[in-house]
Parts: sequence; structure tokens; C-alpha cells
Amino acid sequence: MSESKESKPRQDGQIRIGVYVCHCGLNIAGSVDCGEVAKFAATLPNVVLAQDNRYTCSDQGQAGIKKDIQEQKLNRVVVASCSPRLHEPTFRKACEDAGLNKYLFEMANIREHCSWVHLYDKEAATEKAKDLVKMAVAKVALLEPEDEVSVPITRKALVIGGGVAGIQAALDLADTGYKVYLVEKEPSIGGMMARIDKTFPTMDCSICILAPKMSDAGHHPNIELLTNSEVAEVKGYIGNFHVKVLRKPRYVTKDCSACGECVKVCPIVAPNEFDVGLAVRHGVYTPFAQAVPSTYIIDMSLCLNKEGVIVCDKCTKACERQAISFEMKPVTEELEVGTIIVATGADVFDPSVLPNYGYGKIANVITTLEFERLINAGGPSGGHLIRPSDKQIPKRVAFVQCVGSRSARSGRLYCSNVCCMNTIKDSLLIKEHWPDTEIYVFYVDIRAYGKGFEDLYKRARNAGVVFIRGLPAEIVEDKKTHNVWLIGENTLRKEVYRISADMAILSIGLEARKDSETIQRLLTLSRNQDGFFLEAHPKLRPVDAATAGVFFAGCAESPKDIKDSVTQASAAAARAGILMAKGQVTVEAITPTLFPEKCKVCGLCVKVCPYNAISLNKDLKRVEIIEAACGGCGTCAAECNFGALTQKHFTDEQIMAQIDAITENEAEKKIVAFCCNWCSYAGADFAGVSRMQYPPNARIIRTMCSGRVAQKFVERAFARGVASVLVSGCHLGDCHYINANYQTQKRVERLWKKMEQNGLDKQRLQLLWASAAEGEKFASKMREMKTIVENVKPEEIEKGKKVFATALEGD
Amino acid sequence: MESSGTGVSKQVLERILDTEKLKYCFECGICTASCSMAEMLGNDYNPRTLLEQIYLNPETVLGSDELWLCAWCYRCQKRCPQGLKLPEIFLSIRSIAKEHGNVKSFDRALQKIVKSIPLPLITTLVCFHPERAGLENEKVLEQIEQIRGEWLKTKKAEKSAKAAEKVAVIGSGPAGLTVTYELGKKGYPVTIFEALPELGGMLRKCIPEYRLPTKVLTREIQFIKDLGVEVKTGTEVGKDVRFEDLQKESYRAVFIGAGAHKSQGLRVEGGDLNGVTHALDFLWGSNSGKKLEIGKNVVVVGGGNVAVDAARTALFKGAKEVTILYRRSKEEMPANLWEVKEAEGEGVKIEFLVSPKKILGEKGRVSAIECVRMQLGEPDESGRRKAFPVEGSEFKRETDMVVLAIGEVPDVGFLPKQVELNDDGTVWVNPITMETSMPGLFAGGDAVTGPASVIEAIRDGKRAAESIESYLKSEERVRK
Amino acid sequence: MPERIRHAPLDLEQFKPAKAEIHLIKDECKGCGYCIEFCPKKVLEESDEINARGVHPPKVVDEDKCIICSFCSAVCPDFAIFVVEKKNKEGK
Repeated sequence: MSESKESKPRQDGQIRIGVYVCHCGLNIAGSVDCGEVAKFAATLPNVVLAQDNRYTCSDQGQAGIKKDIQEQKLNRVVVASCSPRLHEPTFRKACEDAGLNKYLFEMANIREHCSWVHLYDKEAATEKAKDLVKMAVAKVALLEPEDEVSVPITRKALVIGGGVAGIQAALDLADTGYKVYLVEKEPSIGGMMARIDKTFPTMDCSICILAPKMSDAGHHPNIELLTNSEVAEVKGYIGNFHVKVLRKPRYVTKDCSACGECVKVCPIVAPNEFDVGLAVRHGVYTPFAQAVPSTYIIDMSLCLNKEGVIVCDKCTKACERQAISFEMKPVTEELEVGTIIVATGADVFDPSVLPNYGYGKIANVITTLEFERLINAGGPSGGHLIRPSDKQIPKRVAFVQCVGSRSARSGRLYCSNVCCMNTIKDSLLIKEHWPDTEIYVFYVDIRAYGKGFEDLYKRARNAGVVFIRGLPAEIVEDKKTHNVWLIGENTLRKEVYRISADMAILSIGLEARKDSETIQRLLTLSRNQDGFFLEAHPKLRPVDAATAGVFFAGCAESPKDIKDSVTQASAAAARAGILMAKGQVTVEAITPTLFPEKCKVCGLCVKVCPYNAISLNKDLKRVEIIEAACGGCGTCAAECNFGALTQKHFTDEQIMAQIDAITENEAEKKIVAFCCNWCSYAGADFAGVSRMQYPPNARIIRTMCSGRVAQKFVERAFARGVASVLVSGCHLGDCHYINANYQTQKRVERLWKKMEQNGLDKQRLQLLWASAAEGEKFASKMREMKTIVENVKPEEIEKGKKVFATALEGD
Repeated sequence: MESSGTGVSKQVLERILDTEKLKYCFECGICTASCSMAEMLGNDYNPRTLLEQIYLNPETVLGSDELWLCAWCYRCQKRCPQGLKLPEIFLSIRSIAKEHGNVKSFDRALQKIVKSIPLPLITTLVCFHPERAGLENEKVLEQIEQIRGEWLKTKKAEKSAKAAEKVAVIGSGPAGLTVTYELGKKGYPVTIFEALPELGGMLRKCIPEYRLPTKVLTREIQFIKDLGVEVKTGTEVGKDVRFEDLQKESYRAVFIGAGAHKSQGLRVEGGDLNGVTHALDFLWGSNSGKKLEIGKNVVVVGGGNVAVDAARTALFKGAKEVTILYRRSKEEMPANLWEVKEAEGEGVKIEFLVSPKKILGEKGRVSAIECVRMQLGEPDESGRRKAFPVEGSEFKRETDMVVLAIGEVPDVGFLPKQVELNDDGTVWVNPITMETSMPGLFAGGDAVTGPASVIEAIRDGKRAAESIESYLKSEERVRK
Repeated sequence: MPERIRHAPLDLEQFKPAKAEIHLIKDECKGCGYCIEFCPKKVLEESDEINARGVHPPKVVDEDKCIICSFCSAVCPDFAIFVVEKKNKEGK
């Protein structure tokens, strides 16, 4: 529980601010005159030191700051450089090392939001940088030292997905000594790797190298295997997740010895999903021979016994261990974990939507996944590559690359990474068994980028595989022989080829799983436009999710081969291990501060809190806050009409000081933009990283959530004469704080109504939902708003000032 | 993109960026492999390299004759993995070339067309559309006649001795005419069997007068007749002549160019009211000069080229308002995009995501059509998104004439059972030899592909003619 | 896991289910209809003939469909129906 704190700004003279303007090599200095900005900073109130240096985040730069804190007795520090999402922790640590409370530090983003997006307008970029520094100085003067609350971390981990990535991550964590729950949707772990025959580039047998790992995972004392189960609910926060897992019934108990007698008598026959429908299984079955756990499972959608009526009891009679039980019910297990690793993997593209390739209509056109099952010795054809139409071994085979990848028509613009090497490996496998087979590979580019990949490619060429650069325009069937004709252009020879083959194999790409949306909602993750999960930073934090305590491993994050999946899994395990080794996690001190004398017990804050961290205490005539449960969004502070709640480090006064700093000069040319830390601010960063250029009118104020933006902030901005205001946040439904952005929507709608009623142009207030991947969206909004700013007339600005004049009362 | 720095290149690039972003082409070659013109012209035309040149060296493209050879069949656009709009890009460059007065290259293109493309007069009007680049059709046709005349003089000396094998061609559409022309040129005795009283097939039946004037069609057909072929019009194989009789009369090879003339019926109530016609009947009636009753408020159901032709004809013949109802969206519409643009420019209205449910009538005559709004779901087997109705969104639309153009299928019931058909009713052929599952029987055009463009039928005809020739020669050797 | 399975299983012919021989003791049947109702493969149907007890006993519609689950004999109150596996020539 927090106590009320008086927070009046200290008197002048007691605050000593140091401002460091970073050149970042030429990244900032190339378009912003850092010396001029530093000189300007020296003129701001309470600034006792202002300098510009080349690389502030380097050891030298940090040492400089520490020295100045101690020698110059600085009690506030501002660094104007890159995005706080990148280096705020670095500089906060430097301050702490020098003895300054880390919450007395603020950053001005003059790189991603300024120098990189205004590369060709030095003057405007420098002016904007000055404004951003002014804002930071105004805020930092009002910052108070804060202490972080420590919360213990549960030393248990949850791994969602039992493919090779999930298994590796689970084993690494379990070997370190932590308990791991491995949840897998299918009846057995193993994922995609269990289905393929050999792996590239070493041509190792896939299941042979996977099965020992699967067995280890099954027997490890620290790993609890929850197969045939799905994650139903995730509540809580880093270090303290409450997870509900739904365990679907197998109808076969643990006494099963995997003898297989039940299968022999089961009358139901259905296509086996593990073999992509190329082989048959029974109603009671095991997905594949090396399944872990080895317990069998009954597919109740096919079984004759429905709704408790036992009509057929053949399997029950055949089972000597009496392991079959039709009474089993789904069970929900509740788990407490500290970290979560998402290793849900990827799906394969379905080429039936490409009619010119005839998949699904022509019998002898198969996909590479079906090929893997055919050539696998444990598969439906005993390792013989046979044509589906007449079960003969083909003498001439054609591979078609880039099916469902790199193509706008199929809706997947990215390269799927593994298909080139997979085809090369497949062609070598065929040559090994049937050396006289003629193999054609139709490609656009051969991507053999990894270790040993180029060697494998050379081996394939030496073995006589013919590579033709030019994809087939269509695949046509010869109805008499069931051969296929592939017609395309050999682009290197500029001739059209019409090649007849016994069989065509489409090299399909990987795509995001259809149920990744479910995982996204459960864990409030972001996905990029291709549907794969978005990592916190593409270069520096490739396995962390933006949500603290959640990590990625394997193809869930992007298509990759087995080596990269295993690497990423170990990385995720290491990152999760760091958190759990510490044993406790500090909750960032951005929780609410309550002024109980102002509380009118209206209960609005209780309603809007997404974490139910506030409760009403009618006896004490105030609300009570559970700091450990607080997510730090600030929506409660924005909702309170009586000033009883404010958010630490993002107080009303601090935000209003930033608004005042922006609107002091030439407000009629500027845009005050409120961006939420997780999505829209990150989206603006992304626009900067991608060097998208847009007009320099905007000044971004960062809040943790768009829900923090109170109506009075927008009103104040207009009252100070700003041309336009942008409120931006995560997409509805994707809010990092679950649903706080719905409050933002309500507030903006109320403001629009008020503007309309008072004859103001409501275009001046813009609402943007943009994710961290939508840099282009942010940039186009900026360009759009420039036109709005240019068209706002002086009378309109004056009118706005009058209408919202009440916002300036109490100053 | 590379800019050679002159004003021309900048203009070229700016115009293209309106149509499409070239930078996505990854040179897979699918466009060239699908292109009908590339097949017939061989090394003289390659759409992929033409596209490459446009962004590497726009100046050379302006003077190249390849620019004028695209026949607008849209096969490249339908199959391109990036969905690049090649015909539109070429059109933009053509208009720039015309502005710069580069019409000499068009003359060179014409030479190539006359040399390698059969039926040049028809294809110029229907496929190459010189008027879209601002040239005058009549002048171009005269040019072609002139070139052809010169070329004929050289060719007449080469005419080989008359061969003995008789070839029967069923159907005198573009595919059948091409086979006749190619084989007739080489001296084979060809007999054309045409069910209608005049030759031409869809060219005469459906393509409206303003697109292909009858006198041009007659000129072209006369040229073919002059090669000395036997013409049996008003003779429908399967009715007037039995298919088996053809074999008895010692035709060594038979080509089926019967087209797709059976209109698919719309299974709704009210399909037999007065005022409801099938588009093919409507167009044939219009083209054959019959007096037609055109309603004031016409509704055309369908989204293919036939639907657009019928709509434009109805407007041309005096309807006040013509609306096309298509059940999917603009992206999935199978009609050529240029046709759709021209139709909209003329005043034809198009409503997307609408499908008729019932045709209502008063006193036996059509008065209104009840439609339901559609929405798109997952793609079906043809790759296009499946349309299914939105519950409760029915609405009525007044109309006094309904023209149905929802698809045409080949009418090949006269073929013996051993001839294999595809799932959609078209004839299956070996794509290299155009031979059906019965030896000696060849097929091409709409009868094989389903409704498609004229240039595709001509390409099929050319392929089949070559194939028939080698088949007859091999047969000859066998018999000898 | 791909959701649309496009090719028929290659080993479908290997699965030859055991052939059934359904034995009906017509005159024991009292026409309760349980066997007809509970057969999962709908192999039985009420016949038109009348047995000694004056009711319609069941008749076999398609013996090939029977999967020898023997539920009919389990549920019959009069033990009037039972199923055995048809022995082939080798007596297996």
C-alpha cells in the first residue's frame, strides 16, 4: 500500500540538472547541430551543466556522467540521444552507480524521433531537438526519487509447445535446476522435426537425434510433461504468472504399456494427421512409434462410444492392463510460474489456393512435407518414394521452389528460409536410393547461407541434379499416364521449357500458425504483419517478448531451420534463467500515488484498472492499491476527476510541464503527440530505424499506456494554442495493459464531442492505433497531420484557447 | 531505380509508378511462359526482358517494337506471383512512345505480326488495339493488307504440291480458322464444318460490331477461303452430320474448335419469364442484325468478358440504364480490366458482391430481380475467394430485361465416350501436341480452356496445326 | 499440422476388417427393437415377417458393415442374436 506523498516542486537553486547531448557518431550529429542544442540547454532553468559528446552510452561517456554527478553535485540528469526503449536502463544504472536515484534521470529521443526522420532538414531537426531537450528538462525538474518494490519470482517455468525448440528450452531450464511445465497440444511431443526424414546439412536421421531428447524430456525429474493440453488462461505479471492449463482426456490411463493390442481390434479407420493423411490409423492410436509419452489415445470424435454409451468395447477387452477408461474428463490444472517460453512453431502453406499448380486435383503433385513422410522408412510407403497414382517409383522428379513464399499473390511476401536447403537435401536423398532418377529443381534463387550449406549444394549439383532458373507457370496432367508437364521459362537461356516428369514436388513455405492469435491474446504479445510474434528488439533482444517474463524460441518468432531453433531455445532458456536466478524481480516504480484527502470514493478508478489492483474501502473512505499487482498503465490516474491519484514518474505536473515546454514558442505550428511506450512509441522508433522521413511538426510525450492520457492534458495543449494533438496507442484488443486503451477511446470521443459542440474543427484531435511494427503508419499519420496544421487558421487557434481555458485554471 | 538522367526517363518512370511498383519483379519467368504471343513469336518477344528493360533502360524500350506486341490476354497478370499488371505497364509506355513519335517501331511490330500471327486483321483490332495508343485502325489495317500482299507474292512460289490427307475442322472460330489457315497454306485439303450459317464463331456471334466490323471479318475469312478450303456452313456435327461419319469419309485428322457456346443456366425462379435471355443469344441476335427488344433498365448477371460485351451492346442499342451484377469483388472479376474500364467509362454501372435470388415478373414479363448481398470467405479450388450470402440482406431491384452471362461451357456431347473431358466439361488435351485421348483427334480454343481470349485460341490453333502436320507425316511413314 | 488433407492414404487396401456372421434366433425375439436402435453401424432393420411370438424380428441390411462389436447381443434381453467372425478357408 502506498502512502500519500507531498510533491511540490523544490525551490530553484536546489535542483542541479546536467544535460548531455549525444552525437552518436554521425547518427544524430549528421542532421542535428548538437553543439547548438547543448548551448541552448545551458540557458534552461535549473541547468548547471550542458555538454555534447560523441558516444554517451560508451564507457567513457558513462564515466563522464558519473564524474559530473559526484563532482558537480548534480541531482538530475538528462541525456538527449537515442530512444529510452534502448538505453534508459544503461543510463539509469550509471546514475545509480554514481549514487543518484535512478528515477531522477530522463531521456530526450533526438535520434529515432528526430535526426533519423528529418535527415534533410537540419534547421528544423535542430529546433525540434531543442524542444525535446526543453521538455525533458522541464519534466526532470519535477521528478522525485523513488524506491522499487521487490517481488519474489516463482522459480518455475512454463514452456508452451513441445517441438524441438520447446524440448531444448525445457531441458536447459530443467538442467539448471528449475521446474518446467512443458505443455503440448498434440498427444506427443516432437513437433515437425519428428516427421522429417533427414536433416541438412549433415543428412542425420531426424528422429534418431530427436528421440533421445524427447526421452530425456519425458524422464527428467524437473520436467512435467502436459501433453494433449492447451493453455486456457494466463493472469499475473513477470515472476508471478497464474496459468490455467486444460488437459484434454486421452481415455487411456498411465497404465498403458504401449503394447498395441487395442489397435489390432479397433474397427475405426481414419487418415493419420502425422503422416499428412498418407497413411491410416485407428480410433485408438499412437501418433508415431517413438511418441513421448508412449501412452495411446482414443480419438473420441471417431469412436463409436458417444455420450457415455459404450457400444463397442473391443479395445477395453483387448487391453491386458485395463488401461482404457471412457469416463475420463477434461481437467483444468492451475500452475504458478515465473517465466514463460513460447515455442509454438509454424504451420506449412497449403498450395491448393494456387490453381495453376493443380495441387489437390492432380494426383502426382505433392508437397515437400508429404515427400518427407513417403521417403521416411517409418512412413506409409516404407521409405519408397512412390507416385500416389500408381504406387510406382518415379524415374523423373521435379521440385518447384518458392511456393507460398516471396509472393504477393499467395499473401506471403517473406522468404521461408528452409525450403531451398530442404529441396537440396531431398534431391540428394533420392539420388542416394535411386541413383538413376532424373531430378529437376526449378528455382528463382538458391539460398544456401549457413554452415555446410554451400557444400551440400555443390554435392547435389555434382550428383547430377539439374537446376533450372525459372518457375513453372503451370503444371498440367497427362490423363493417360498421370505424368505431369511443367511449362515455364528458363530465364538464363531465355527459352520456354516444357518438361514432362513422373512427379512434381512443391517446396512449400512456412506460415504463422492459425492459433497464434489465441496465444497472442493470452499473453498480450504483438505479431508482425506476417503473423509471427514480434521480439522486443530485432537486434539486441531477439528472444525477449515485449511483455516482461515471456520469451520466444523456434519458428513461432520467424521461419528457421533446426539449428537456429535450438540455438534460440537455449538463448530463451538462458534469459529466463537470469530472471529466475535472481529470485526476485523489482517492480518498476511507476505505480500510483494516492492523495487520500482528495478521494471521493467514486470508484471510477476501480472500474478501469485492468489488473484489479485497486479496491474500494468504504470504511476508511478511500481506495487501496495493491502495488505488486499494478501493471503501471496509469489509467486510474487519468480517470480520477478529483486529483486523488497520480502515477509516479508520470505525474500530472510532469506531463503538463512537458506540454507547456512544447507550447511556449510557435505552438500554432506544432503537434503535441502522446504515444504509448509499447506500441505507438515503438512504432515511431521503428519509423526512425527505417529512416522513414516525415515533417518535423510533432513533439512526442511518452506515457506507459495511452490510457494515461487524461482529458485535461489534451485540453491544456489546445488552451496553450497548439495546432493539433495526436493521441496514439496499441490497437484495440492488443493493449499491453489488456484493455486500458478502451478508456483512451472513450476520452477522445468525449473530447471530439466537446469540440464539435463548441464549433471547433475536430480534425485537430487525431486518434491513431499503431503497433510497434507499423512505422509506416505512424509516418503517414505525421504527413497527414502536417496538412492539418498548415490549414488551421489563427481564429481557430484563438477559439480553441478560449473553449479550453478552464484547463489552465489552478496554475 | 536507375535514371539515365534525361527528361524522358523521369517521365517514363513517373508514369509507371502510377500503375505498379516494378521493383517487386523477381524474374521468375512465369509471364513469358504463359504468354501466347511469346510462344508464337519465339525469340522475337519476351515480356520478362521487356519489363526488365523498362526499369534498367527506359529509352531503348520506347524505340523497341516488342512494346507493341502484347495482346492483352492477361495470362501473365493472372499468374504473376507478385501480381504485376504487365499489360497496363506496357500501355503506359506505349502512350509515352506515341507522344515521342516512336511509331516506326510499331511498323516493325506489324511486320512480325503479319509474318507469324495468323488472322492479323482480326487480331490487330481485337487484341492489339492500336486505337488505345492513338493510332487509326483503318490505316493500320491497310498497312497490314499491304504487307501481307507483298509477303504473299514471295510465298506463292513456295506452295507445295497438294497433299492427300484430308483434315476436318469442326467450328470456325479463331482456333478453327487458324488451323485451316496454317494447314491450307501448306496445301492440305481442309473441310470446315460450321453450325451457324456464316463462318466466324464467337468472332461473328459475340464480339460487337464496334469492336470488330463485319467487313473486316469478311475480308479475313475471304483470304482463308481463297486458299482453296471446303466450307460446309449450316452443318452441325452431332446433328446434321454424325461424328462417326467423319471417320468413314476418310478424314485423317480432326480438329475440334467448337468453342464454349452453351450458356450455363441460372438456377433461380423466374428464369423462363419474358425478357430473360442468355447473353450469347442476345449478342448473336444483335450481331446478326435481328431486331431486338432492349429494355430500359437492363440488368446483366455475370462478370466475364461476355457479360461486359452484353452490357455495352445493350447500352449501345438504346437501354437507358445498364447494371452488371457480379457476385464477387473487383479483384476476382474475370473480365479483362481494360474492357471493364471502358464499359464504366461508357456508363455501365457495376455492382459487386451481389447475386440474384429470384426473378420476379408481372403478366409473364420480367419486372424486378430479388438479389442478396454476398461476402467473401476462404479461397476455393479455383483460387478465388468463395462467395456466400449475407443472411437477411435481400433487396429488390427494378428491371425490365435480364441478361444472363454466368459462364459458358463447351457443347461437345457429340464426341465419343473415349474422349476424356476435364471436370468442368472442357476437352482434355496433351498440352504439347493438343491431341485428345483419341489418336488423330485434336482440340483447341475455348473448347479446351473454357472461355478465354481470341489470341489464346489462335495460339492453340497454331500449336494444333503444327502437331497435326507432324502426326500426318508420321502416319504417312507408318503406312508406307 | 496442415488442415486440409489432399491425398488418399496409400495403405488403405491393407486394412481388411474381419467379416461378420450375424446369427438371429428369430422365434426368440420379442420385438423390443433395442438391437436395431443401438447398432452403431445401422446393420439391422425391422423386417416385415412375423415370428412365432407375433412380432417383427430384425433383418440384416448389410452384413459387410458389421464390425462385430457385439453390442446387439449384449443388449438383447432374450439372447436372440449373436455375432461371430467368419472363418476363411484356412480356418483363421
